Amino acid sequence: MQEDKINSNESEGVFNDFIDEKISDMIDEVLNEGNLETLGDRGSEIVVEIDDITVPTFSYGDEGEGQGGGQGPGREGGKIRFNLPFNKFMALLAEKLKLPNLTKEGKGKIKEVSYEFKTFGPVGVILDRKRTFKRSLRTSIGVGSYDPAHGKYTVEFLRRDKRFKVPQRVEKPKFKAVVFYMGDISYSTHGQRLASEKRMVNFIKNWLDYNYGARNVDHRFFVHDVKAYEVQENEFYRVGNVGGTRAAIVFELIYQIAFGEYDTATTNYYGFYFGDGEIFGSDGQEIVNILKDNICPIFNRVGVVEVFPSQWSKLIVELEREFAVDGIVRMSRYRSNADTITTIKKLFADSEQGS
Amino acid sequence: MKLVKTDPILHELESRVIWHAKNMGRTLPEIRFFILDRIEFASLLEKHVYPTSPINMWEGKRMVTKKFNIESGQESSLYYEVVQTGNPSYAYLNNTNSPMTQASVMAHVVGHCEFSELNVLQDSNPDRTEYVMHLVKKVNMGQQQMGEKNYLEFWNAAESVIPLIAPHSQFNLDRSVEDESFRYHETEKEDLVTPTQKMMKPFSHTMDVLLQHDSLEVVWKKEQTKKDQQEQISRRGFRLRQPCQDILGFLRRYAPTSQAEKAILDYMYVSHATHDFVRRSQIMNEGWAMYWEKKIMLNLFAENAVKGIIDYAKVFSGVCSPRPFFMRNPYHLGYHLWNHIEELYRDGKVDLDFIEETDQQKRELWKKPGTTEPLAAMEHLVRTITDYEFLRRFLTDELVETFHLNRIPKFYVNRMGLNKDAIIRDDDHYVWIAPQPVKEEMLTFFTHFQRPRIYLIDTDFIDGGLLLFHRDDNHKLRKDWIRPTLKNVNYIWKGAVSLISGGALYSFSNNRLSEKSLPDSTFEQVLERMKKSEKPFIA
Repeated sequence: MQEDKINSNESEGVFNDFIDEKISDMIDEVLNEGNLETLGDRGSEIVVEIDDITVPTFSYGDEGEGQGGGQGPGREGGKIRFNLPFNKFMALLAEKLKLPNLTKEGKGKIKEVSYEFKTFGPVGVILDRKRTFKRSLRTSIGVGSYDPAHGKYTVEFLRRDKRFKVPQRVEKPKFKAVVFYMGDISYSTHGQRLASEKRMVNFIKNWLDYNYGARNVDHRFFVHDVKAYEVQENEFYRVGNVGGTRAAIVFELIYQIAFGEYDTATTNYYGFYFGDGEIFGSDGQEIVNILKDNICPIFNRVGVVEVFPSQWSKLIVELEREFAVDGIVRMSRYRSNADTITTIKKLFADSEQGS
Repeated sequence: MKLVKTDPILHELESRVIWHAKNMGRTLPEIRFFILDRIEFASLLEKHVYPTSPINMWEGKRMVTKKFNIESGQESSLYYEVVQTGNPSYAYLNNTNSPMTQASVMAHVVGHCEFSELNVLQDSNPDRTEYVMHLVKKVNMGQQQMGEKNYLEFWNAAESVIPLIAPHSQFNLDRSVEDESFRYHETEKEDLVTPTQKMMKPFSHTMDVLLQHDSLEVVWKKEQTKKDQQEQISRRGFRLRQPCQDILGFLRRYAPTSQAEKAILDYMYVSHATHDFVRRSQIMNEGWAMYWEKKIMLNLFAENAVKGIIDYAKVFSGVCSPRPFFMRNPYHLGYHLWNHIEELYRDGKVDLDFIEETDQQKRELWKKPGTTEPLAAMEHLVRTITDYEFLRRFLTDELVETFHLNRIPKFYVNRMGLNKDAIIRDDDHYVWIAPQPVKEEMLTFFTHFQRPRIYLIDTDFIDGGLLLFHRDDNHKLRKDWIRPTLKNVNYIWKGAVSLISGGALYSFSNNRLSEKSLPDSTFEQVLERMKKSEKPFIA
């Protein structure tokens, strides 16, 4: 018997590879259909469900839902369910989308502080009983009070033998980010547009949470018609009843908040605007000015998405005059669900990519 | 994995168990005990009770699931006993068990090991575990030759054929297929000569023929058949003389495989072949193990080698608790039947005097020392019969009642679709049915083991393809799995494969499955045709 340890590690590895392939297929499906609802709640584990596999044999019983798979495993009709950690799912998604990691600013300025017991000393509060006993036993043997051969079993605990756990301060760089979601709630934005916006916002939230850590990201929601104001997330998808709309005011508002409420030196700013792109008068030029003069200098990324644009949608046309190829401002026209992935790529890719 | 000798307490217990077993005259192989932790234990079971196995996805899947179940508390990691018999036998102890439980496991293992040595199916063989470990190495080497993709595909295909192992069937490989190594004596022994003619064989075959007074036509036909058979063996290397139920055994020996592929089939066959023995002798085997476990444990308690006799009694009665016949508990049934048989022989109830006694009152009070020593008689049974005969001979209607085999919990009654007329009495929790059908039902189990009976009936069907036959047990095969299973057999045989099942012929070749209706033909008809050296079925 040469084996010291009986295990199935290698076979488990083969099965895990198989599962990885299945997850990869599932992500392909998510991407091809633009169906990002799988992402679930913010930062939660993804429940993955795949067809169960079993060896096809001549057997009695009712037919399963699926067909057996030749030399591959047969499918039994049942399901295998398992949890996929959110971070792993996002990493796979990013790999598939070829999304770069987001650039984080503020390195070294803000630290996340924690304490770990890595060292031990002669003074302290929390006694390390194992180490103390070891030292005391050694001393007792040395001074002869513990000598089983001669019937002596006394272990003396001297002060110098006591060892305490000493907390050590551990600092890790902490990154902070704030994301401003801006939405047009004038009555021309409704129905399918809202569903698409929700899908995009959901992805952006998860993507930024994944990059910065869910607790380090502020997600703030703003809407506008002829006025701009902050709302709770659920109100973000509400349709207003005002006909006219001015978008520049919401860009102005988020700039004021970004500058006034956050430390520009340590915060990573992101802004995403969703609307039908129908603007009036000098609205477009005003947005260009705010972006150029105020927002671009401090923001990491600004995305403008025209959701189901019409022939009167002019916002991106206006912006393209200034930001056609830009490292900060990205634009995309979302005409169908199939554009979800293209839009995400445009918003987050390192350099501007064609659609 | 640790040797038991690394634990002084268990090592002492082991030596006491073996001492008592030998003192009671047990026939034991060398038994090697090992201590495993719970995950090792789970892994060992997934490796079919061998310490190593080739890499395969199915073991991985089962282990991932099992680990999750153990960690989430859905499955216990406590196993009662695990032993791979053979000489030496390898027995595994779970390190979480108490010394008393470990002792009972060792005593139980002693019973299994002896049963394996003595039984009529000759289960025990030398160096079984070592041989499987050798095969694992061959498969691992073969994996490198085949490449990962081909290896996994062939492995998956071979997994499909594992249920088609039947080394102890009356239609096993040796009885069904003849090749260069045993074509003459097999054929002559069973087909061509009767017992009285055997006497003439040493003198002259010509003399036999002359004395048989057969017509020239018959003699010519027999000679022609024999010549055809010899030529068939000469051309293909083998000849199917009757249906073969040991299909994996056939593929292992005759499929056109590379060395690496053959190594996989060898491993699959050897590591699973013992399951057939277990199925055919489980009641006797577990009963024998419980019988000797109890005897040895009582000795250990008497000499104070272990403590906790009350706990042991609780565990023992739990393991040997009665179940209805369809959920048969081999521990319970086997243990009590062996005790009953011991009593029969001890009281002389198997002697001629008892059988010929017609006075019912005398029979009931019968207690005369028998002419056969009970233990010798029990060992003789182990050496000569399997579960079928065990039950047929000793399970009486009275015992069906005594063992509660005909007692069914009420919540099963509707689920089973039990006819009210079948119920002979009931109470708040149970119903009782007549004992005679229970015994019949339990014996019927041994004809098919509740699995499809598939036979290979032709090896030259379509383009040199195999023809399989599903023997009708009033159940239909799961239809959506016929195609992938045939595809897997096709992958191993590398030729067309067909199956007759439920009045249809399914043929798989060139990656396509075709299906056509057939007139019903029975297994007996197929058998008859094959005995006459005719084609069992013509497409």
